[in-house]
Amino acid sequence: MADKPELTVNVVTPDGSIYEETTDMAICKTTQGELGILPNRLPLLASLAIDEIRVRQDNGEFDEVAVSGGFLEFSDNTLSIVASAAERKEDIDSKRAERARERAQERIEKAKKAHNPDELRRAEVSLRRALNRLSISNR
Amino acid sequence: MPASLQEVKRRITSTKKTGQITTAMQMVSTSKLNQIQKHTKTYQVYASKIRNVITHLAASHLLDDVEAPETVEEGEVNSLAMLQQRSVKKTGLVVITSDRGLVGSYNSNVIKQTMNLISKNHHSKDDVEIIAIGGTGADFFKKRGYDIVYEYRELGDVPTFREVRPIVRAILKMFESEKFDELFVCYNHFVNSLTSTFRGEQMLPISAENLGSEGLSDTNDSGYNLEYDTEPSEDAILEVILPQYAESLLYGAMLDAKTSEHASSSTAMRSASDNADDIIAGLELQYNRARQSAITTEITEITGAQAALE
Repeated sequence: MADKPELTVNVVTPDGSIYEETTDMAICKTTQGELGILPNRLPLLASLAIDEIRVRQDNGEFDEVAVSGGFLEFSDNTLSIVASAAERKEDIDSKRAERARERAQERIEKAKKAHNPDELRRAEVSLRRALNRLSISNR
Repeated sequence: MPASLQEVKRRITSTKKTGQITTAMQMVSTSKLNQIQKHTKTYQVYASKIRNVITHLAASHLLDDVEAPETVEEGEVNSLAMLQQRSVKKTGLVVITSDRGLVGSYNSNVIKQTMNLISKNHHSKDDVEIIAIGGTGADFFKKRGYDIVYEYRELGDVPTFREVRPIVRAILKMFESEKFDELFVCYNHFVNSLTSTFRGEQMLPISAENLGSEGLSDTNDSGYNLEYDTEPSEDAILEVILPQYAESLLYGAMLDAKTSEHASSSTAMRSASDNADDIIAGLELQYNRARQSAITTEITEITGAQAALE
């Protein structure tokens, strides 16, 4: 693999670095749409959507990491994903996510009744996070 | 030596027991200190990433542009508001103390210096909103009639970001809704396991100065002077990063405060154990003397009695 260009993916959260691998391609969902990142790319800054990061393994399969927003920074063949929360597919607690989904839905109902746009927006973000975790862990 | 043998013995046992407790507490604090230091190290990776990117954006003079008067729609929560210098009507103070005692001068130091900070900036009670993290500070300021807008007790020994997040969110929301116009964070900064110094730092609004003090020194050696492609736009990215930056700063302050709390608790307990050892040594001397003099008296009595019989 010496001749094949590689990049390092590093997912950091306040509770430490949770994922670090080298790969030949990583696929991220930015707020604008999906973005594939290959080695030797120009330095890049982008804001991330609440979605997943997919990192291609040697055998062609993808590692999946759920991220809740944040941003990515790419330079010197190092892709840093800086998010306030992120989990690898294996680490997702689907029961917890399920509960979070229910909670978020309740909050949305309540906020709609109370006509509280701020709260509604926040609840929707929580719901998106929960759904994101669930969809990744159930795949 | 007026104390009776019995009494001295009782005091020795009780001091020994106290010493045992303080030694155990010292060990607990030391292990907590180790844990949190490990955790802080991983957190710092995250913090420095954010800071580097922010500094980069600041270096491209983006912050200057934003600071120019901008029309923010009423009621709209805008994270760029964190950059705006508003005229200061109220000052928010985050005071981080511990919930329990037995931490030496940790709490009194934070509280005293916070009061200094308030009086130095010529604030009166009505200009200050207190955000109390930790029970001691909350009780102190409540008793003195300060306005406490947020109170949080029983922060974990090694606080996780998940635990801290609601606090941070609440604080940022208060800033956005103009409950206060600047935010200071007062806590004890951990220097090493024996010393900690008080820090009262301005955190919001984020300005070039409080970015520059920490960030700029890192910029040169880390290669962050690169030109970045940005997607979607620098403004949009700033909007994502700034709240994250503020969150990480506050979380960092709490971690730092907890670290120094564990350190000072460990130091306090160590000196308590040392004191207990000293006291026990003194008491043992006293006990032996009393025992010796009792024996001497007894011998004198016996020989005296014998002499009288002969």
